Amino acid sequence: MHEYSVTKSLVELCNQEAEKHGISSIRLIKLKLGKFTGFSPAAINFYFDYLKVSTRCESARIEFSEIPIRIRCYNCQYEDEILEPIFICPQCGNIELEIISGREFYVESIEGE
Amino acid sequence: MKINVLKPVLVSNQQRAKENRKFFDKTKSLVLNIIGSPGSGKTSVIEQIVKKLKPRYKILVIEGDIKGSIDSERLSKLKVDTIQINTLTECHLDAFMTAQAIPQIKKPYDLILIENVGNLVCPAEFDIGEDYKIAILSTPEGDDKPIKYPLLFHLAKVVIINKTDLLSYLDFKIKKARKNIMDKNPKAIVFEVSAKTGQGFKELIGFLESEIKEKLGRDRKRANP
Repeated sequence: MHEYSVTKSLVELCNQEAEKHGISSIRLIKLKLGKFTGFSPAAINFYFDYLKVSTRCESARIEFSEIPIRIRCYNCQYEDEILEPIFICPQCGNIELEIISGREFYVESIEGE
Repeated sequence: MKINVLKPVLVSNQQRAKENRKFFDKTKSLVLNIIGSPGSGKTSVIEQIVKKLKPRYKILVIEGDIKGSIDSERLSKLKVDTIQINTLTECHLDAFMTAQAIPQIKKPYDLILIENVGNLVCPAEFDIGEDYKIAILSTPEGDDKPIKYPLLFHLAKVVIINKTDLLSYLDFKIKKARKNIMDKNPKAIVFEVSAKTGQGFKELIGFLESEIKEKLGRDRKRANP
């Protein structure tokens, strides 16, 4: 449900960027989405279809690319992708971990004329 | 034409949250973003905290609700300052809605409790300028909630397990709940309380007092808002 307000922010951000660079019609929005966020691509697309109307995003489509959750252990330097968000080092049991990726939610690029 | 944007979608929320935080830091108020399901006892826990800390500290409660002001009316009975924010269609507070409360803050507070909209999903994603998030998990909801809503339990510095007075009627296992919380957030500080009986609040209140003092710092001086 919170995708409504984030999609609104997405449309605003893309419109601003397009305006800044003289793009009147955006064709493609490349969006990076970490696996450890609560945003659903289907819900974003659902709201996008009506929030984009009469904006520079009207003819745009969103391309989502998912970023896996990766951790690095401060103790044993173990580094890997984790499939489930369990934040205990699988190698040494340490809890001091760095989350290298998985929390991203950003516009990588826009394409258009 | 292709433009590399590389900007977070929530960039404007993040900027606003930063400004809110700057304001709260100036007044050295400890600001807690309280998140939990509808009916988990967020308001009841806040009532207990207010009752116990009010004699010694200046407290403000900001109530985020989709509609109405039932919670702030409930709290004003305790003679604590409250500000109501209605989010209308939104299922969470964001930094801009929280900023609406700022012009109404006329004096420095020691503790600002922000009760978010009852929801375990959406409020977790939005920084509102708080010092940290507190998750409230009540026993009737089940000990599996941290598995189902990992982000909130990962981000919350403190998790309060509420309604421990009902444990004998439920299948909720404290040990299991703690393990599920720790998997998502091994550094979480967990308290077990019953807002109905007052059980377990001594530890929580002691913790909050030390946090208030830490925020206030050694000079114990604060600027006016």
